[in-house]
Amino acid sequence: MNVQWTLLYMFVFPGFLFLIAYSMICEWVDRKLFARFQNRIGPPWFQPEADFIKLLSKEEIIPDAADKVMFRLLPIFAIAAVLTAFLYLPIWNTNAIYSFKGDLIVVFYLLTIPTLTFFLAGWNSTSLFSALGSVRNLTQLFSYEVPLLLSLLGPALLAGTWSISGISAFFLKRPELLVVNIIGFLVALVAVQGKLERVPFDIPDAETEIVAGSFTEFGGRLLGLFRLATDLEMVVVATLLSAVFLGGSFGLHPVLGFIIFVVKTLFIVCILTLFKTVMARVRMEQMMKFCWKYLAPIALIQLLINILVKAYFL
Amino acid sequence: MNNQELVTFLQTQFSGKVTNVTSPREKRIFAEVATTELVKTLQTLKNSGVHFLGTITGVDSGEKFEVIYHLYNDDGIVLNMKTFTPRTDPKVPTVTTVFSGAFLYERELMDLLGIDVEGTPPNRRYPLPDDWPVGQFPLRKDWKSLSSEEEVNKA
Amino acid sequence: MSQIKIPIGPQHPALHEPESFNLTLEGEIIVEAEAKLGYNHRGIEKACESRNFIQDIYLLERICGICSHSHSTCFVQAVEEIAAVEVPLRAKYIRAIIGELERIHSHLLWVGVAGHEVGFETLFMYAWRDREIVMDILAWISGNRVNYGMNTVGGVRRDISPEILEQILGSLNTLIERTEYYTRIVTDEPTFMGRLRGVGKLSKEQALSLGAVGPIARASGIARDVRQDDPYGAFSEIEFRISTDDHEDVLGRTVVRVHELMESYRLLRTLIENLPEGPIAVKVPRKIPVGETLSRLEAPRGEDILYLKTNGTEMPERVKVRAPTLANLASIREMLCGAYLADFPIIVAAIDPCFSCTDRMIRVGNGKNDNLMNWQQLREYSIEWHKKQGLDLGQIK
Repeated sequence: MNVQWTLLYMFVFPGFLFLIAYSMICEWVDRKLFARFQNRIGPPWFQPEADFIKLLSKEEIIPDAADKVMFRLLPIFAIAAVLTAFLYLPIWNTNAIYSFKGDLIVVFYLLTIPTLTFFLAGWNSTSLFSALGSVRNLTQLFSYEVPLLLSLLGPALLAGTWSISGISAFFLKRPELLVVNIIGFLVALVAVQGKLERVPFDIPDAETEIVAGSFTEFGGRLLGLFRLATDLEMVVVATLLSAVFLGGSFGLHPVLGFIIFVVKTLFIVCILTLFKTVMARVRMEQMMKFCWKYLAPIALIQLLINILVKAYFL
Repeated sequence: MNNQELVTFLQTQFSGKVTNVTSPREKRIFAEVATTELVKTLQTLKNSGVHFLGTITGVDSGEKFEVIYHLYNDDGIVLNMKTFTPRTDPKVPTVTTVFSGAFLYERELMDLLGIDVEGTPPNRRYPLPDDWPVGQFPLRKDWKSLSSEEEVNKA
Repeated sequence: MSQIKIPIGPQHPALHEPESFNLTLEGEIIVEAEAKLGYNHRGIEKACESRNFIQDIYLLERICGICSHSHSTCFVQAVEEIAAVEVPLRAKYIRAIIGELERIHSHLLWVGVAGHEVGFETLFMYAWRDREIVMDILAWISGNRVNYGMNTVGGVRRDISPEILEQILGSLNTLIERTEYYTRIVTDEPTFMGRLRGVGKLSKEQALSLGAVGPIARASGIARDVRQDDPYGAFSEIEFRISTDDHEDVLGRTVVRVHELMESYRLLRTLIENLPEGPIAVKVPRKIPVGETLSRLEAPRGEDILYLKTNGTEMPERVKVRAPTLANLASIREMLCGAYLADFPIIVAAIDPCFSCTDRMIRVGNGKNDNLMNWQQLREYSIEWHKKQGLDLGQIK
């Protein structure tokens, strides 16, 4: 692969530019669908772009007591981490732009970085509501992270590899084994609600309780970047789930594979929206209880099933 | 207790401390009591079923202030218990010892009519703003609010 | 863990009106709560004393947007009692119909707000959509969505035509169907139930001693409703079933409100079917004789009390309004202490607070603000400002 093509892959397609555009489309699908579920009309397709551009044009206000450099850098860190994670995910075939043996773990931890930047952003804002929001951010991290990792472990165990591309390639050979992971998929779907801070787990930015949580003091460009990071995170997580649990794009012809990629990620976005529509926000302690008492044990059962399947059918 | 029973109760049980008991219509009773006997009377009434305080009204009637305690029993009979306090030294005892929810109504008396409610739990002022001038009691009849025009000219 | 104090309000997404709460938190748990009231103080009681009885109806109607009809009805009832006027039966029924429609729109609004406060946006959108049906009916009857201006001393100002009555009866079926759906949500949806059950406990004894009224008292098992205890207007003629619940928490308050919705639909049907023919108002002299009375009315949020003293002139001597929220605010501390911060919005929302009703007495203006301008000054300032921007608006008269 020569340098020009690599750069094109990284920055244009399926890299950063495509990802940003696609994340906006996903946000629109999410908002429109949410609105239609609620019997509202919903925004036009360019609303996310318009919001983003409007935020970019707004004044940047930084609290006096906050560390100015850190305040400005954190949103960029969040975006950088998510974009880097995307490089390891396969899009239209089973090969990602970059891939090595342990990239599942790397992607997983790269996806933790945005949450940590949210925490730092809130803590650095020196406002009460932000501080409360950031404490909630971290508390929430401890409750969904374990079930999510356990559920991702299932397919990896089955495929015998820590590489996302490897997992996709494995399911290409044995598509019938996808069914085995259905419980793990559901656990992962619930856990990513926590990761993406969406209803019912939007506790860190519960508007009626702590205004906007970590982002209370953010505005203008910096808020726009944070919102972009959240959107990107949603697409990256959907891609990750589709690669690990839904067998990626089945290694078909690039165009067809790409269509499959779009269908699968949109399908996951739709499920996430459905969750958001039918549920109320839970309390922190209810979420902790749910994640540790139910989600983590279910993920462990999935692991057990996978071990048995591996022992007897492979 | 129905209306007539409550009227009889008021007339007989308080050995003349509760005066002027009238019932202008079904379910409405008016009565008067001295400030010194107020808390004791309300406690006795509460024990005999008139156990709910609707609100407290303060009225500026010239020489003296009327303070009216609107009490109910479970049959929906309203007993308006009046007490009087002189304008020169307006004072009533707190009834929060009997009805713990009364503190907001007592704050209103203090803020708007300048009646000193003795023994009411300390609290921030309500309903007037914190920077309201001392000694201005808007619900007294001699207090006039300025028109917006006058307010501007004063500033 | 060390304690932190957080200010909620006067501007906060959970509160729809300016009111301030200072919460002391230990982690996520509220250990102390203090309410600061009075931001909406407008001096209505004082203002009533310098206006005549007819003007006062409209002034009192503006105490609150949602329960406007309750406040004005409570006032005209008191005036009519002192003036010893017998209101025509049809007027009483029309007042009751508007009152019940108002209760329906207030409770539907509340169901939506409750959904919003616990992050259940779908319920919020659904309830507010269905509330539009009632708002449309009210607009059709009175011309207004709030502040209907229906009451006058001696009756009502507008009649309800048979076509509108038909329309109301037709809409009732939709509303009943929707409310049954909400009842199912309230009693079935696990995340929503999880947020309501056991939250904001107020025992029957506490509710009694702190003087809680309306759905709060009824959710603590106190069967108190003015429509039953002290029937007014048309309620002395029709049968009424009180809804209570013994959960003593936010879930109970929700259940009580949803049941009250169903009862209101039933009452509306009875009222419309039995609506008598006849005049809608009688003439009452402008001067009301000397007297005093206490008028009670069950507003959507609880019991509304109005004390009226007259002095034989065209203006009242004293008007005192006790809105239901003030009575319920006394118990807010009991409900908040020990709760999670996350439960703060729903606990406050559960009393269906109307702070405008609560603070209603004075116009604030202490003369310290140097930027006070009268209309003329404001106009001149504006013309000057635009001139600086290169626009001469002074020619426009």
